Amino acid sequence: MAVFAVFQTTFLLALLSWRTYQSEALSEPLPLTPESLKVSINSTQQCLHLQWSVHSLAYHQELKMVFQIEISRFNTSNVIWVENYSTTVKWKQVLHWNWESELPLECATHFVRIRSMVDNARIPEPRSWSSWSSWEEVDERNSLGHGALFVFPKDKLVEEGSSVTICSISRSYQNNVSCLLEGVQMRGEQLDPNVSAFHLNNVPFIRETGTNIFCTTGRGDGTGTVLFVSKVLEEPRDFSCETPDFKTLHCTWDPGSDTGLPKRQPSQSYTLFESFSGKKILCEHKNWCNWQVAQDSQEMYNFTLTTENYLRKRGVNILFNLTHRVRPMTPFNVVFKNISDTNATMTWQVHSIGNYSTLFCQIELHGEGKVIQHNVSIKVNGNYLLSELEPDTQYMAQVRCGDANHFWKWSEWIGKNFSTLEAAPSEAPDVWRNVKSEPGYQTVTLFWKPLSKSHANEKILFYNVVIENLDEPSKLQLHSIPAPANGTKLTLDQCSYQIHVTANNSVGTSPASVIVVSGDTGNKVEEERVNVTEDGFSMSWKPQPGDVTGYVVEWCDHPRDLPCDLQWEKLGPNTTSTVISSDAFIPGVRYNFRIYGISTKRIAYLLEQKTGYSQELAPSDNPQVVMSNLTSHSFTLSWKDYSTESQPGFIRGYHVYLKSKEGECHPGFEKAILPDDSVSCKYKIYNPEQKTFVVENLQPESFYEFFVTPYTSVGEGPLDAFTKVTTPDEHSHLLIRIILPTVFCVLLIMIICYLNSQWMKEKCYPDIPDPYKSSVLSLIKSKENPRLTIMSVKDCIPDAIEVINKPEGSKIQFLGSRNSLTDTEITQPAYLYLLPTEKNSSGPGPCICFENFTYNQAASNSGCCGHVPVPPEAPSQLGLLTSPENLLKVLENNYMNSLGEIPAGETTLNYVSQLVLPLSRDKDSLQTDPPVPALCSEYKMQMAIPLGLASPPPNEKSSVSSVTLLDQGEPHH
Amino acid sequence: MRAQLTQRMLLSLVLGLLFLSTAATGSCSGKYQGLLEQLRSQADYMQDTSRLLDPYIHIQGLDTSGLKEHCKERPGVFPSEDALWRLSRWDFLQILNATLGQVLHRLTTFQQDLPQLKDLGMVMLYIRGFQSNIHCMCQLLGSSSEAAKPTQASPAPPLPTLASDAFQRKLEGCRFLSGYHHFMHSVAQVLREWGKSPRRIRRHSPRQALQKGAHGTHLFSRGRRLAPSGQLPW
Repeated sequence: MAVFAVFQTTFLLALLSWRTYQSEALSEPLPLTPESLKVSINSTQQCLHLQWSVHSLAYHQELKMVFQIEISRFNTSNVIWVENYSTTVKWKQVLHWNWESELPLECATHFVRIRSMVDNARIPEPRSWSSWSSWEEVDERNSLGHGALFVFPKDKLVEEGSSVTICSISRSYQNNVSCLLEGVQMRGEQLDPNVSAFHLNNVPFIRETGTNIFCTTGRGDGTGTVLFVSKVLEEPRDFSCETPDFKTLHCTWDPGSDTGLPKRQPSQSYTLFESFSGKKILCEHKNWCNWQVAQDSQEMYNFTLTTENYLRKRGVNILFNLTHRVRPMTPFNVVFKNISDTNATMTWQVHSIGNYSTLFCQIELHGEGKVIQHNVSIKVNGNYLLSELEPDTQYMAQVRCGDANHFWKWSEWIGKNFSTLEAAPSEAPDVWRNVKSEPGYQTVTLFWKPLSKSHANEKILFYNVVIENLDEPSKLQLHSIPAPANGTKLTLDQCSYQIHVTANNSVGTSPASVIVVSGDTGNKVEEERVNVTEDGFSMSWKPQPGDVTGYVVEWCDHPRDLPCDLQWEKLGPNTTSTVISSDAFIPGVRYNFRIYGISTKRIAYLLEQKTGYSQELAPSDNPQVVMSNLTSHSFTLSWKDYSTESQPGFIRGYHVYLKSKEGECHPGFEKAILPDDSVSCKYKIYNPEQKTFVVENLQPESFYEFFVTPYTSVGEGPLDAFTKVTTPDEHSHLLIRIILPTVFCVLLIMIICYLNSQWMKEKCYPDIPDPYKSSVLSLIKSKENPRLTIMSVKDCIPDAIEVINKPEGSKIQFLGSRNSLTDTEITQPAYLYLLPTEKNSSGPGPCICFENFTYNQAASNSGCCGHVPVPPEAPSQLGLLTSPENLLKVLENNYMNSLGEIPAGETTLNYVSQLVLPLSRDKDSLQTDPPVPALCSEYKMQMAIPLGLASPPPNEKSSVSSVTLLDQGEPHH
Repeated sequence: MRAQLTQRMLLSLVLGLLFLSTAATGSCSGKYQGLLEQLRSQADYMQDTSRLLDPYIHIQGLDTSGLKEHCKERPGVFPSEDALWRLSRWDFLQILNATLGQVLHRLTTFQQDLPQLKDLGMVMLYIRGFQSNIHCMCQLLGSSSEAAKPTQASPAPPLPTLASDAFQRKLEGCRFLSGYHHFMHSVAQVLREWGKSPRRIRRHSPRQALQKGAHGTHLFSRGRRLAPSGQLPW
């Protein structure tokens, strides 16, 4: 019992003392020092992980404490981080704290220490820190292995645009480490003799396989690391949910960039969380997700779409009423019924979205290049009548629907094609005509425009032309013109005809277009110029009195071509003006417009004619100018052939340019500078019909140049070459008037004189006989040289010379004897016979017989010349005379001038002469004197003998011939 | 450029059909020359670096200065050409078959890591076809009972374990592909020599090749030379 009492006392004392201690502890700062500090490295996260505990805490005691953590790098004095970490500490609790290092932890030794302080409001200030724990060292470099160079961090994953620090550790102090980022040198910082750091800011995304960083020492060994840069995770955009049937919600969003990197980071994930129901699903697709609608009639939904990857997490939220997010499913079973040429009924079905829901549907009709929309409200099945359609036309109709109560979005379109049925052409063809009246008949060319597709309703197969003779109604003609012809030509007599034209397709016939042509050619009207505006040719005409059913304006699109592509425009009866435009109109072409009025009898009659250019141009060519009436003071220019109609503009007149050496301009001319910068005088002719011009006031014997060019409102014609002209002398015409008659008179007198001289000559000096008929030619022929040469006397060797004295009738014969001539009395006149010395009597002998018919005409006619035989051996008493040398001399002296420059042997002429001997000579004189012609003697005539005629006919024996060909030694009589 | 691409695709198609023809039919051609010609063509095709190495370098970003130089074949991974010359035909085919099996294994890892390498699947298909042709050639050369079965008959030569960090794996992959193309070039050279006169063919014992040869060839040192069929050069 005593033992029990002692034990109880001891327990109470102990309890008392503990209570006392506890009360003291609460009233003073407790020295609760962190203990069991452990530091580790998470290389992947680049984190220092600290864990410690506070052992001094009482059982189940909880204390709010502050822990101050100090981190040093390389050595304890190099504190790089100090942070206070507040937390509530429990009994036996192990505390954790992480610190992420900017510098890869492998590259430096880190030291960590910690101290604590109670952060309890019940403890009054000042509170004090516990003592520091001892430094804990962390150094990964010891476990790197045997490499010479290391680069950290390894395979770090960062976001694009972030900052990263790369470090390298070299085993050797001497190594100069350089690092390349994708081949580009990085600027480094030496942290330690072995450690370098490279700071990268705003790192870019280069490729999915990572950005390569390669470091090398100066000794060639190197290593590297890969920096995996991912795209920045974006917040999902356009997040929305909708239901087609109140059973499922279809949520969609735009995910943005994919941040996935193969083998390093998967693509970002998406989760859908609904806060009212608390349900959460992981979406399998990156841009849509389906959510099953609860059966408990939940109307409001609050969705949060969260996306995350290894580096980031983002989310978006939407709150909506389910009934306001209805998008019906695509309608189906679209059918077209009751299709006619202009109508069709479209039917379709929709998926139900509730018992009482109404759908609003939109129908689009595509056809003929137009889109027409129709709206209709339906419950389950829809139908709509599409009306006012075009026959024989393909259409596409589509339909889509939306919730009529709370419209959210349209469904998808569903469409189908259909074609309306064919129909007869609905409109009469637009018909016009061209009538050409010929004597006794008229040629009517009908033109019509093809019907538009909307009026044709189907392919036009042919046109029917019915011709009704109004004078004889019983006469009808029908012409079927196959399409696509746009006209036909009819030859009709001068009667009036009504022509019906209809277009026909496979279904039927169009209404008829009716025109009337009559034999009347119509009236002629003056042509006017038409105004041109930017919109085209603007024309107006006077309204016609009486009943006019309309007007027609007619023109040719290509007036220079054949056919000219006739065009027309029909206008109503109240229209008196129009603007004609056409893409075919080109500048510089003159277009002619004719305006017709259409009478109630459908007869067209010409009202007005207009002409004009869509755009005038300068003349393209200049007239061919003819100059006439050239005098010393003026000349006339004319260009009457120049056509003003074919010019590219209305010719307003002409410019006459005149250039003179003086440079002075005549009255009426003005100075002008030509396009080639030359200066000229210009005269303006303002009348286009004036096509002549007289240039006056010119100077005689002066040089002028002129040039004529037309001009339009745009300008004048091209600059051509100037025509040159020189004015004549002022008196030249006077001289001509005097000289010409004088010359004429002189010529007349000369002709008369000549004729008289002929007569005189024939009377007084008759011609010497024709030498061709002379036997002397036979002598020439006998020569060796076949060519005819000048007959030379010395070529002849006379055998005998007979001198005949005609009055006495005596004659001397030299019969080859040597008898002297002195024995014979010589009389005058005498014939000189040269007898041949050769025996050849048949050929022409070398004998010349001189005859003087002038002085002895009778002897000449007697023919005695050939009857004197001359023996070859007969001595010549006229040796000097007949010797070749002497004779030649004589001849030469007399003929020299006649021969002129003609060289011997080359001339084609031979000269034959007659010689007159002295009438009274004694034999001595004959012997001694050379046969020089006496003063009284003369050559009557020289005669040229053509070569071809040199040989006389062998049987020639003319009475006038003075040559006798004698065989030597044989007399001839 | 477009024409080149079309030509290349056409060649690929032809060769693919060539490779597949044997593998698909499962029966071997009995014509030595025809089979040898196919092996040559296929080796020529597979030595082309534009199939694997060039795209790999581009995809991995190794086509920068400083990195290209580190993309060279590491000696010992593939049998050297000299070692191949010294092998008997039988041993040559055995080693070729085993090496290609290892290549296939490695390319499978590439296929997972680099989906961007478009031609990889086709190249792997070609290698399997090539192995089928090796099998057929082995059957022609000797006893079919010991003929190499494609891909699993010979143990694969050990390849260096994959590095832990991505940078080294990139370089290793590059070196591996470089070695593969070079190896196939050597194979093409040897096969080209097979068609020539027996006197001109260099012949050495496999043991010599192994002593001097590549790191991987020791795996095939068990291979024995089999008697060739009568009409063949040996």
